[in-house]
Amino acid sequence: MWTLLTALNLCWEAELAEETLLTDDFLRQLINVGEVDILVGLRTYNNAKTIEPVIRAIQTGILKCFPRERAVIINADGGSQDRTPELIVGASIDDVWSASKVYALRTLHSISTPYASSPEPGTALRTILAAADLLRAKVCVVVSPDSTTIEPDWLQQLVRPIYSDNFDLVSPIYRRQKFEGVLMRNLLYPMTRAIYGYRVREPYASEFAISGRLATDFLTKEIWNDERSRVGAEICLTIAAITGNYRVCQSFLGPKAQPDRGASDLVAAMRRTVGALFSSMDSNFPIWSAITGSQPVTTLGTESEVMEEPVRVNRKRLREMFFTGVAQLEPVFRSILSAPTLSELQRIATLEISEFNYPADLWAKTVLEFAASYHKSVINRDHIVQALVPLYRGRALTFLLENRDGSGEDIENNLESLCGDFERLKPYLVEVWADRK
Amino acid sequence: MRQAGWYKDAIIYQVHVRTFSDSNGDGIGDFQGLAQKLDYVQELGVTTLWLMPFYPSPLRDDGYDISDYRSVHPSYGTLEDFKTFLSAAHDRGIRVIIEMVANHTSDQHSWFLASRSSQDNPKRDWYVWSDTDTRYGGTRIIFLDTEMSNWAWDPVSKSYYWHRFFSHQPDLNYDNPAVREEMWNVMKFWLELGVDGFRLDAVPYLIEREGTSCENLPETHDVIRELRKKVDDQFPDSMLLAEANQWPADLRPYFGNGDEFHMAFHFPLMPRMFMGLRLEDRKPITEILQQTPEIPASCQWCLFLRNHDELTLEMVTDIERDYMYDIYASDKAMRLNLGIRRRLAPLLDNDRRRIELMNGMLLSLPGTPIIYYGDEIGMGDNIHLGDRNGVRTPMQWSGGWNGGFSAADPESLYSPPILNPVYGYQAVNVLSQRRSEHSLLSWMKHIIRIRRSSPVFGSGSIEFLYPANHRVLAYVRQLGKETVLVVNNLSSAAQAVELDLRRYKGNILIEMFGRNVFPRIGDLPYLLTMGPYQFYWFRLRRI
Repeated sequence: MWTLLTALNLCWEAELAEETLLTDDFLRQLINVGEVDILVGLRTYNNAKTIEPVIRAIQTGILKCFPRERAVIINADGGSQDRTPELIVGASIDDVWSASKVYALRTLHSISTPYASSPEPGTALRTILAAADLLRAKVCVVVSPDSTTIEPDWLQQLVRPIYSDNFDLVSPIYRRQKFEGVLMRNLLYPMTRAIYGYRVREPYASEFAISGRLATDFLTKEIWNDERSRVGAEICLTIAAITGNYRVCQSFLGPKAQPDRGASDLVAAMRRTVGALFSSMDSNFPIWSAITGSQPVTTLGTESEVMEEPVRVNRKRLREMFFTGVAQLEPVFRSILSAPTLSELQRIATLEISEFNYPADLWAKTVLEFAASYHKSVINRDHIVQALVPLYRGRALTFLLENRDGSGEDIENNLESLCGDFERLKPYLVEVWADRK
Repeated sequence: MRQAGWYKDAIIYQVHVRTFSDSNGDGIGDFQGLAQKLDYVQELGVTTLWLMPFYPSPLRDDGYDISDYRSVHPSYGTLEDFKTFLSAAHDRGIRVIIEMVANHTSDQHSWFLASRSSQDNPKRDWYVWSDTDTRYGGTRIIFLDTEMSNWAWDPVSKSYYWHRFFSHQPDLNYDNPAVREEMWNVMKFWLELGVDGFRLDAVPYLIEREGTSCENLPETHDVIRELRKKVDDQFPDSMLLAEANQWPADLRPYFGNGDEFHMAFHFPLMPRMFMGLRLEDRKPITEILQQTPEIPASCQWCLFLRNHDELTLEMVTDIERDYMYDIYASDKAMRLNLGIRRRLAPLLDNDRRRIELMNGMLLSLPGTPIIYYGDEIGMGDNIHLGDRNGVRTPMQWSGGWNGGFSAADPESLYSPPILNPVYGYQAVNVLSQRRSEHSLLSWMKHIIRIRRSSPVFGSGSIEFLYPANHRVLAYVRQLGKETVLVVNNLSSAAQAVELDLRRYKGNILIEMFGRNVFPRIGDLPYLLTMGPYQFYWFRLRRI
C-alpha cells in the first residue's frame, strides 16, 4: 500500500511540475482571456528593434481577416532587457483603427509571460502550446518577432487552411533571396523529405500554424523531456504532424527578412535542427523505414519567384573552413563516415575554389552516414552534429558556386536533383542503421 | 402624481391598445380592455405606460399615419373610454405617456386633403410641396424596402409632396408657424386631459433645408425648444421623449441645455447589448457608452431591448450589421429595412439565462428602462406576418380561447395569435406564469421591485470597471451615499473575475436579490466566480 501511495504521490508531483510551466500570473491572464479561436504566439528575446511592425501586422491581420473570431496574442519572453514585452502588451488596437481603418468587433488581448531567464525556443513554444491547449484555441499561429517583412495577410494565409479546410499544420513557403535558406535547401528539406516522405519545404519554420488538436497532441510528446529534441521543437512538430497522419499543407507567404545573425550561430542552429531531426529518427524508425519516395504537399496561395538580389559571400573563407574541418576532424570522421566517403571528402578538400565541387550524391551519403552514426551514438551526439558543420560549409560553397549564375528555375532543378539523391540513397541508410559497425 | 423628474425613476411598459385586451369581442384590443388589465400592469411593478398611436387612422402604418389628432380610433373605443382608462391608471399610480406623431400625418388627414385640394388653399403650406422631385437631394431614404424617393407625386394638385417615411405619410411643414401652433394645440388638448407626457416620433426630420441631410437641423431644435417652453410654462411636470435614431453625439443636442427633450432613446446601445452577448465581450457596450456624451442633470436616456419596430441596425458599422444579421437573423424573413423584426425571447433562443441577463442590464444601466408588452412572459413572434406585425401579435393572457385576448372568433382577430408549440399562448401566457414562483413573469416582477428599491439606478452616476476578463461587464452606480456594484457575465461559460475595488475598501457586499452578505472588500483584487450568463447586483455597505 505504501508503495502505491508513494507512486501516486510521485505521479502527482510530476504533474504538478508540469503544470508549473505556466506561472500563476500567466495563468491569471489566461483566465481573463478565456476560450479563443485563434492564438498568435511570439517567442521573444530582446526584439525591441523589430517587434513593433510585427505586432502591428498581427493585430491588423486579425482584425481584417478574422474580425469575428476570438483571438489573443501571447508572447513568451526569454528574459528581454530591452522592454520587448512592454512594447507587445502596450500595442493598442486603437492605433490599428486609426492607421488602417480596421474596426475591432471584439477585445483583442495581448499578454506576455517570462518563461525563463534566458531564451530557449523550445520551452517558449511549449508555453505557447500549453496556453493554446488551456484556451482551447482552434488555431495556434507562431510568428517570428524578427519577421519585419510580415504582412497582415500572412495571418489569413496561415490560419484559413486550418479554420476553413481542416488542415492541422500549415507550413510556410517564403519568397527567398536565392542564397538564403542554404541549410534548409541543402539539408533539412531534402533529408526530411527523404526520411518522412512529405515535401515540406520549411520543416523548421519560424512561422507556422497548427490546429488545436495537433497542439494538444504535440504537448504530450516525449520531446519535451529530451533537451536535444526540445531545442528543435519546430522540426519535431513537423515530423509529429507527418507521422501522426495529421493533414499538412503549405502556404505561400511572401518575402522573408533574414535575421541578422553571426556566423557562430551556425553550430547552435545545426544542433537545433539537424540534431532534432536525427534524434527523431530513433523512435520513428518503424515509420520512416517503410516509406519510399515522397509525395507532394497541398500548397496554397500564389507562388512567387526567387529573388535575385546579390548577396556577398566569402567563398574563400568557406573553403578554408571546410579544408580545416576535414583535416582536423579526421579522427572523428573515421568513427562517423564510411571509408569511401571520407576518402572522397579528403580529395575534395584539396581542390581550389575554381574547381571545388561537393557533389549532391556525396553530400546526401555524408548526411545519411551522420544520421546512422548519431543513432548509434558512436561518439557524443552533440559532437557528431558539430562535426557536420565544416562539411556543410563545403556543401554550401558548392551550392553558391553552382547557382551563382542560375535562375530561380535552375536552383529549383538542382534542389530537386539533390532531393532525388537523398531519396535514392535512403535504402543505404536503412541498411547501415542497424549495422553494429 | 406631481413630482419633478419622475421620469428618471420610471419603468415604462410599452403597449399597443390594439394588441392588449379586447373587451367587446370584436377581435381588436380597446381602451376598456386595457383598463381591465391595469391591475396586471400594477402587479408587474412598472410605473408608466407608453401607448402607441390610438388616434383615428387608415392604419396603413399601424397608427403612425394619423388622420385626426384629437380623437380615438373607433376600434379602440371613445374619448370617454380613454379618459376612464387614464383616470384608472392614475388611481393606481401609473403614469401614461402617449404617442405624438408630429413629423407627418396620414394622407387622409383633413389638413392634407385641404392642402392638396388647390394651390391656393390656406392649408397648402402646411405640407412640403415642390414642382420637382429633385430638391433636398442629399437626404437618405429610410424605408429602403418600400420607397424609392422621399418625394411622391400628387395627381390632385399635380405637384410633389415630401415624405420621409411611407408615401402615404406626408411631412408637415414646420417652417409654417400655423403648423407649429396647431401641433401645440393638439398636445395641449391631451395634456389637459391628464396625460403625463409624449413620445415624439421621428423628431430629427421636422425641418428641411437644401444642401443638408435634412436631419438634426438647427431649425428643428428651434421648433423643439419652442414646444418645450410651452410645456414647461403650462404643464411643468410633463415629459417629452424623443424618438431620434441617431448616434449619441448627434442625439446630445436634443437635450439642449435641459430645454429641449427630457428623455431620448439610446438607439445605438440596444444592438450592442445583443452584440456583446453573442460575442461574449463587453467591448461593444462599453465602447458605445464611452462615446455617449454627458447630458444635463434633468435629462435621461431611455433604454430598451425590444419595441414595436425592428431591432434597428442603422446605428452600427457595416461589420457589426453583417454580424448581427448572421447571428440573429439568419432567415432573410427576419430582416426588415436595416433591422431585425424579432422579439426578445426568440432573439435569445428562448434561453432564460440570457433573457434574465439582458433584462438585468436593461434595468441597471443608466437610463429609464422600457419593457415591451409580452416580453415579460417571453412571448414569441411571427416573421411570416408582413412589415413589423410579427412583433405586434395579441397579448397572451391564458391558455384558453384566443389566449384570453378576445372572445371573438379566431378568424376575426386583428392578427393571428402565436400558436406554435414553443411560444404559442398555450405554452406562454400570463395565467400559467402567475402560478409559478420561478416563471419569467415572477422573476421580472422581482427584479423590477429591486430596481425600484433604489434611486441609484435611475439617477446615479456610472463608473465602469475594466477587469482583465473582457467577458465580464462591471460597473458601479452611485447616488449620494448609496453605491451599487453590478457585475454581468456575458459568457455562456463560468468565469472568474478579479475586480479592483480598493477604493471601496472596508465595505461589505450585499447581494440584492437574496440579500446575502459577501466578504468585505480588502486590498487584494475582489475575486468573483460567476456561472454562465450570471449577474450580480451588490449594495455596498460600510458596517
